[in-house]
Amino acid sequence: MIKLQNISKSYFLGDEEVKAVNGVNLKIEDGEYIGILGSSGSGKSTLMYLIGLLEQPTVGKVFLDGKDVSKLDDDTLSHIRNKNVGFVFQQFNLINKFTVLENVLLPAKYSKVKLDFDPLERADELLKRFGIWDRRNFFPNKISGGQQQRVAIARALIMKPKVILADEPTGNIDSKTGDEIMDLLGDLNKDLKVTVIVVTHEHDVALRTKRQIYIKDGVVVKKYL
Amino acid sequence: MLMKNEFTDLLKSAFADFKRNKVRTFLTSLGIMIGVMSVVLLIALGLGLKNYLKQQFESLGANLIIIFPGNVFSSEGGAGGGFGSGFAGGADFDERDVANLQKIREADYVVPVFFKSSVVEADGERYLGYIESSNEEIFKILNLEILAGEFFTKSEVSSRSKNGVMGFTIAEKLFGQPENAVGKTVRVGDQRFRVIGVAKKKGDREMDASLIIPYKTVFGTLNPDKTFFTIYLGTKDEGNVEIVKAKAKETLLKRYKEDEFSVTEQTEILSTVDQIFGIVNSILVAIGSISLLVGGIGIMNIMYATVTERTKEVGIRRAIGATERDILTQFLAESILLSIIGGVLGLLLSTAIVLIVRIFFPAAINFFSVAITLIISSAIGIFFGVFPARRAAKLPPIEAIRYE
Repeated sequence: MIKLQNISKSYFLGDEEVKAVNGVNLKIEDGEYIGILGSSGSGKSTLMYLIGLLEQPTVGKVFLDGKDVSKLDDDTLSHIRNKNVGFVFQQFNLINKFTVLENVLLPAKYSKVKLDFDPLERADELLKRFGIWDRRNFFPNKISGGQQQRVAIARALIMKPKVILADEPTGNIDSKTGDEIMDLLGDLNKDLKVTVIVVTHEHDVALRTKRQIYIKDGVVVKKYL
Repeated sequence: MLMKNEFTDLLKSAFADFKRNKVRTFLTSLGIMIGVMSVVLLIALGLGLKNYLKQQFESLGANLIIIFPGNVFSSEGGAGGGFGSGFAGGADFDERDVANLQKIREADYVVPVFFKSSVVEADGERYLGYIESSNEEIFKILNLEILAGEFFTKSEVSSRSKNGVMGFTIAEKLFGQPENAVGKTVRVGDQRFRVIGVAKKKGDREMDASLIIPYKTVFGTLNPDKTFFTIYLGTKDEGNVEIVKAKAKETLLKRYKEDEFSVTEQTEILSTVDQIFGIVNSILVAIGSISLLVGGIGIMNIMYATVTERTKEVGIRRAIGATERDILTQFLAESILLSIIGGVLGLLLSTAIVLIVRIFFPAAINFFSVAITLIISSAIGIFFGVFPARRAAKLPPIEAIRYE
């Protein structure tokens, strides 16, 4: 379970303080499938990074399974991210000098605890499941956008995380492939019981999730207009 | 502590980057390579020069007192006399000095030497060797042994005979079989000499390449000024060495000023050689280190560029759970690897060069220079790598991941 308690995050642009996220309260249960919908600059990405512990709030607290994680040091946060959070980005963000398989395996290299599974086996399993196993020795720039996004999802899943955070996962691919990616995320939520949070500005993408959260000017609103 | 797996991952990751930037990697390592090469070669040449000089003096017999012009090797001044007032100026010893020194009762041998590099010709063959004109006692004082024929005698020296004794190498070069030289005639400039003996190999490059002839024979010709570079004094009794030194000094002071000559023993010369080359070597290393420093700055420069270029990668790695330390280690590993690659290349290349140079000159690579090279190049990798690596580690993950 993830709980955000009165979270604010401000940046300074020169001398001007910009509140990207302003007093957000949010509770996400394990296994939910959530869409965070907002326009560009609404603070939805910042909100996602706060949930994903890549960013620390200026004010407020983040609870992960009841534990306050908003004041932890960078090392501990990195370990929590490694173990519990899988990110999927709009630009796929694969490392181009590594092969597909190496990209998928990368999070396992940063694990500070001994894994109770064989990452290589799991990577094979995920790549087969996503139909890209035959591309495992390709470099990311040699495969299609849809395939790259599948690789990114496989990478996000390798550590058996609790949460998948997807930032505009369909933003860089055509709508048909986008549908496939959303199907895939839905299946993961259903089959693997992973919490999936999709951040998007597209209404129909958000509507494919089970619960929608609308955000505007850093504030959660009842209805997005 | 790094685990083995982590270590291979680091290497793999670093090599993946090097592969993508082959030219850049090569050029960056080149800086270190040149630096290491200059340090190693300078040490090797310094050592070589030292070995060479030591060899020269060690091949002389024991209980030997050497009289030089100038005061390079004076025991009082140590190396302080310097070369300036040494070989260049100073006394020109002549026959009168030899005669005076011969009056010292405890000196069993008094051997004047005039030494000059010369082309020696025989049967149409030419060899650039040396002529060493001296008296018959030189054979005893240099511990030379006869291989074939015989040495010239005192009476041959007095009678200005044109009989000469050849070193092993020169005889071999001119006549194929060294023994064949005996009885042959050789020519040096306008003068002809008959080879009456060949000495056994001594291991001293110059000695083995010399034609030894009676000193009076070349007066006015090859030795126009009738002077000597060196006078060796030898004693059969070790206890007399100090007495002979003192008396020789006393004798020479009647004609020369104190700083115009030096009377010294072989052991003193060796320690002075050591002393001088200790200093020479440190200076050489210091000069070589400048290029290492420049190479290190090159690495730092490239690593800063690499960090900027790979900001996004850093962001991605941080998002999937890399700690600041992981990122630091990654970049540090690359810069260390870069400089070690350069260091090893430099070492290999300078070893090759030294092996070639050894044909002419006893240059040497010792364990010390290998160890220092590897230590210095890793140290450079760490020192010049740590700042860029820290910058990478401290990048805010969000900004890094958004970086295009």
